[in-house]
Amino acid sequence: MLFRILKNSFLKRPKAVFLVFLSIAMGAAVATAFLGIAGEVSHKMALELRSYGANILLEPSAVEGGGFLREEDLPKIKTVFWKYNITGFTPYLFGIADISASGKKERGIVSGTWFSKNLEVPGEEPSVQGIKGIAPWWDVKGRWPEAADEAIIGAALARRLNIAPGGDVATMIRGRDQLFKVVGVVTTGGYEEEQLFAPLVTVQSLLQQQGKVSRVLVSALTVPMDEFGKKDPATMSKDEFEKWYCTAYVTSVAKNVEEVMAGSRAKPIWQIASAEGALLKKLNSVMLFLTILALGASATAVSTSLMASMAERSPEIALMKAVGADRFQISAIFIGETLIISVAGGVIGYLVGDQLAGIISRTVFNSTIASPLWLFPTAIISALIVAIAGSVAPLRRALLVEPVRVLKG
Amino acid sequence: MSMNRRRWLIHLVLRALAHRKGRTLLLLAVLAMASSLATALGIVSYSMGKRVAEEVRKYGANLVIIPETARLDVGSGGLNFGVVSEPTYLQQHQVEGVLARSGLKAERSFHLRGALHWKDADIMVEGVNFAEIRRLFPWWQLKGDWPAVGETVVGNDLAIRLKLKPGDTLELAGKSRMTRLRVSGVVSTGGEEDSLLFLALQELQQALGLDDQLTLVRLMVTAGGDSLKKSAADLQLLLPSAKVNEVRQTARTSEGLLAKVKLLMLMVTAVVLVSAGSSVAGTMSTTVLERSKEIGLMKAMGGTRWEVMLIFCGEAAMLGLLGGLAGYLLGSGIAQFITRTVFASSAEFVPWFLFVSLGISVFLALLGSFGPMISVFRLDPVRSLRGE
Repeated sequence: MLFRILKNSFLKRPKAVFLVFLSIAMGAAVATAFLGIAGEVSHKMALELRSYGANILLEPSAVEGGGFLREEDLPKIKTVFWKYNITGFTPYLFGIADISASGKKERGIVSGTWFSKNLEVPGEEPSVQGIKGIAPWWDVKGRWPEAADEAIIGAALARRLNIAPGGDVATMIRGRDQLFKVVGVVTTGGYEEEQLFAPLVTVQSLLQQQGKVSRVLVSALTVPMDEFGKKDPATMSKDEFEKWYCTAYVTSVAKNVEEVMAGSRAKPIWQIASAEGALLKKLNSVMLFLTILALGASATAVSTSLMASMAERSPEIALMKAVGADRFQISAIFIGETLIISVAGGVIGYLVGDQLAGIISRTVFNSTIASPLWLFPTAIISALIVAIAGSVAPLRRALLVEPVRVLKG
Repeated sequence: MSMNRRRWLIHLVLRALAHRKGRTLLLLAVLAMASSLATALGIVSYSMGKRVAEEVRKYGANLVIIPETARLDVGSGGLNFGVVSEPTYLQQHQVEGVLARSGLKAERSFHLRGALHWKDADIMVEGVNFAEIRRLFPWWQLKGDWPAVGETVVGNDLAIRLKLKPGDTLELAGKSRMTRLRVSGVVSTGGEEDSLLFLALQELQQALGLDDQLTLVRLMVTAGGDSLKKSAADLQLLLPSAKVNEVRQTARTSEGLLAKVKLLMLMVTAVVLVSAGSSVAGTMSTTVLERSKEIGLMKAMGGTRWEVMLIFCGEAAMLGLLGGLAGYLLGSGIAQFITRTVFASSAEFVPWFLFVSLGISVFLALLGSFGPMISVFRLDPVRSLRGE
């Protein structure tokens, strides 16, 4: 009997059922899309902010200048506690050289570095490290170096030496010389424009400093500094220190990296780190507000549409009462109807919302999104709860009315 | 249509709304909800662009001016390995004049780099205006106080090397005279500032005998993209003896970030509006759909399609207008609350959003009543009155 009533209710008034279904599906879609991206957006934004450049500088701990770090320690950066937060790093070894090209001569800086080096660390995913990853604002005319004797030259230096991609530069340090083929000219608007960048190995042998680097720039995902993060770790108790060490403050990630690089000292680059923290905090709270707003709105939309549909059906309820149905039976019919519509709406809404989240993520961040597993049951169950919450009040009111009065109109 | 008949129609609409208070209130609430959502999201995204643009300015200057023959010596982080050339200078009064004349909206800071002698060694020092530094370099981590007259701030690394702490005094010898300075604080930035000593620009100019000379000017121009490029080109024309450079690390990255934030807000707004909108139109339709009896009665009493349509659309439009007005007020409040909480500044007052809000609300109300009405019209009045 119950099933026959339900079946007829769906088949006899398809438009009304469809409208309620539409409203539930759309509400569930907004909720799914928002919950799906809300968590990801803060991560994606943090990654986006990494394009401002490295936020940690590693240098030899000797304050007097000079001193070196060991190149063999570099892979250890990918094995530290915060390894998943470290999005890239690049070593540098620099020396002052006589640089000459097309008959002109200058004293200038030669930097040995990694451009995009495939790094394989046992037990870790292989990764690509180097300038290309951590300094996306570099504007290279020509191409990046590939062979050991290729180099890119800063735009200002290139202008003075009157050299273009394809030309050769000779560098000389303490009697040793090395010829580089210039394959690109780099414009940054900063001091990089005054330097010649060549592969690390070549510069190491030019400087006779095999296996050594003078600085490492590290780009790491960090959390905004708060009052606790600003405390001096030296004055912390053991518990406090542990909490500090296990929070990805830029200072604790720096400390973490410092520990694996022998003889090093890590400094946060505050220009990048402090602006980033503030910006992330704000973007995250905007996202949080928008999510609350969207969830609230979709819940209201769903429950009001249920109310509207239920309120218009009091004659039906009255008729059922008049032919002898008890409250329980009537409730069972209407709640059952709502249940079926909202489960179907929840499933469709989830699928649509998942696609929406994917589209947003693709258009804005050029990346795919993996929606968490808990989202599916959450979407369905919340669609159900909201729908039932919306129909209970009008149903109760309808049950209270006298059948005669309603049927009379 | 006679005046009388028109008044009768308006009367009918009002009575219909007043008679079913519950339904009217429900629809009003739903329409107000949708349009307040539109208003809030619209205003937040609209002010988001500006607020985030302000935030990214904390990454520092986007233009630098240096003497034409000088080497570039700026940037963030540890890639600066020192300069290997003779210093050259900019004329301070000339730069000031040009900046005033160009009408450029920009924050600026003047810098003079040089060396002073202390205890058999040369120390790299920089003359700055500390008020400018506090605005343009918000990332300075200062232990101690900002300096007053006759005081200095020492970079963290230099302080360790020279064993200096706040309160110490040192006598520095320049080319033309001695200066006595008291250390007021120690600064760390993770950049080149860590190994410099900072003092007031004028004091350094006098000590070095370099009145009116600067080595570097940093500008934070309130513009991005092409207009930043244009500002740089304009300044370059006015300052032929200098180089004006765009700092790509801050300028370009900020531009990319802003574009992403705006796109994200746009998409989020679109998703919410389309889904909430269709849900609201659905609710509206539900209420009209259940009124086939009423329509049948009107037709049976001799109302033409046009008149019935007018009554229903009038009802929807009135609901839409009221809902839109309420939605605008509520939405502005929500937007105000969000920007106040997040950015600690009030949202922009955007009056034309009232029309957006009203438009959306009326559109949804009409959209919701239009579809079912068409199908109800096809019904035979007799059959719909019989409830079939």
